[in-house]
Amino acid sequence: MQNITRIYALSKRNVILRYKNSLVGFFWGFFKPLLYLLIFIIIFKQNSGIPHYILFVTSGLILWFFFSNVTGQSVGSVVGSSGLLKALNIPAYFFPLSETLSELFNLVLTIIVFLIIMNWGGLVYSPRLLLIVPCIILFAVFALGLNLLLCSVNVFFRDIGIIWGTIQPALFFLTPIGYPESNIAPHYRIFMKCNPIYYFIKLGRGIFYDTTPPSMHLWMECIIIAVGMYIIGQFVFNRLKNQFISAI
Amino acid sequence: MSQDTIIKIENVTISFWQNNVGVYSLKDLITQRKSPFKTKTILHDICLDVKRGDSLGILGRNGSGKSTLLRTIAGIIKPQKGTVTVNGSFAPILAIGAGLELELTGYENITLLLALYGTARRNTNAVDNIREFSELSDEVLRMPVKQYSSGMVARLAFSISLANDSDILIIDEVLAVGDQGFQAKCADKINQLKAAGTTILFVSHFPEGVLKICNNAILMEGGHITHRGTAQEICKDYQMLF
Repeated sequence: MQNITRIYALSKRNVILRYKNSLVGFFWGFFKPLLYLLIFIIIFKQNSGIPHYILFVTSGLILWFFFSNVTGQSVGSVVGSSGLLKALNIPAYFFPLSETLSELFNLVLTIIVFLIIMNWGGLVYSPRLLLIVPCIILFAVFALGLNLLLCSVNVFFRDIGIIWGTIQPALFFLTPIGYPESNIAPHYRIFMKCNPIYYFIKLGRGIFYDTTPPSMHLWMECIIIAVGMYIIGQFVFNRLKNQFISAI
Repeated sequence: MSQDTIIKIENVTISFWQNNVGVYSLKDLITQRKSPFKTKTILHDICLDVKRGDSLGILGRNGSGKSTLLRTIAGIIKPQKGTVTVNGSFAPILAIGAGLELELTGYENITLLLALYGTARRNTNAVDNIREFSELSDEVLRMPVKQYSSGMVARLAFSISLANDSDILIIDEVLAVGDQGFQAKCADKINQLKAAGTTILFVSHFPEGVLKICNNAILMEGGHITHRGTAQEICKDYQMLF
């Protein structure tokens, strides 16, 4: 119970810090996806032949930006909390966890706005939309696993943050967000299939956009990737955590 | 463990991985082909008993392992060897301003630290007590901590750590920064707590401070406790070092 209060307090701090000193606060979060949406419309819309293109892109973009923000924030979360970690007996995993939770809170708000606006973009309201809840939980578990990995290794090698910032755009373009999967030639699809984000974006799109709901097969793939990533992240984190204090 | 021993440390050894010189990034690791870490032992086989209600001064040169010892006692660092047994609760260790979030206001820092420490639910007046003790005005507490002077930061940090009503108070060089009035006030408060039975661990580089607050003291050198005794004896030994 006390731990829940502590994680809540840290998550709240993240939300406050994020919007501190900004005039439009929460709405900054929409600015980046909107800009990308605009770029995609200019470049890809005409040749894509995709009906309801805006809904198609936006459903991918909101999930991608959750992922990109949460990993970007979490990489430095342990290093950045050195003051608290050295002053209080507080488990280090609270920091990546609270970053993930505060970003998840943000995603929920974004999805609510998305659901309201996208009615105009061709979104069909149906009970199927409720499937987004397990979908974002799975995606968050995956992100938490990756965050645990990144933030613990970053304590010892500080260029992890920079390397991750370089890999991210590559991952973004490898993920079919602004273009359909069929745009990638069959012999290159292996790259797409190796990209774990692809499965979560596909799952989200299956809920928001496609005419048929996501297959059981896809759900299983997402569960395996999410749990697998979490186990790897937790394992590495546990191996390294006793050495954090001396290195931060 | 007998009733009146509050902290018992047995054969504790702490070692850290230390970055090998020049290997701080993956790039260095690849280009320099050195093992990235070497193990460095900070505390060697430390044994220490602290009695309930005692006030112990910890003296020593920079880098002799004083802060590591405090953090080990507080459970922040887990020993590789040996055991630490503590029969009481801690206030957060506040070295000068560490643990305060610079971008947050004074009030936000207070609520955050109280929640992290778990005091918020036990003591609803905690925020008022902190404001009163720190003598910082409402206006100041609404400002982000980054705009504070170092003395104001020390006031806030010290007041928060005192708000916790804990059995053990750990003080790591906090008093050096506040103005004379506040230093006197802190010393008074520490003596009050001492009279009420709080155990105090006090790290300082100023023997005068240790003499004022502590009955007993230890002197540390290179990760060993080299001298133990009354505060007077140890302060003399400490001054012999230089």
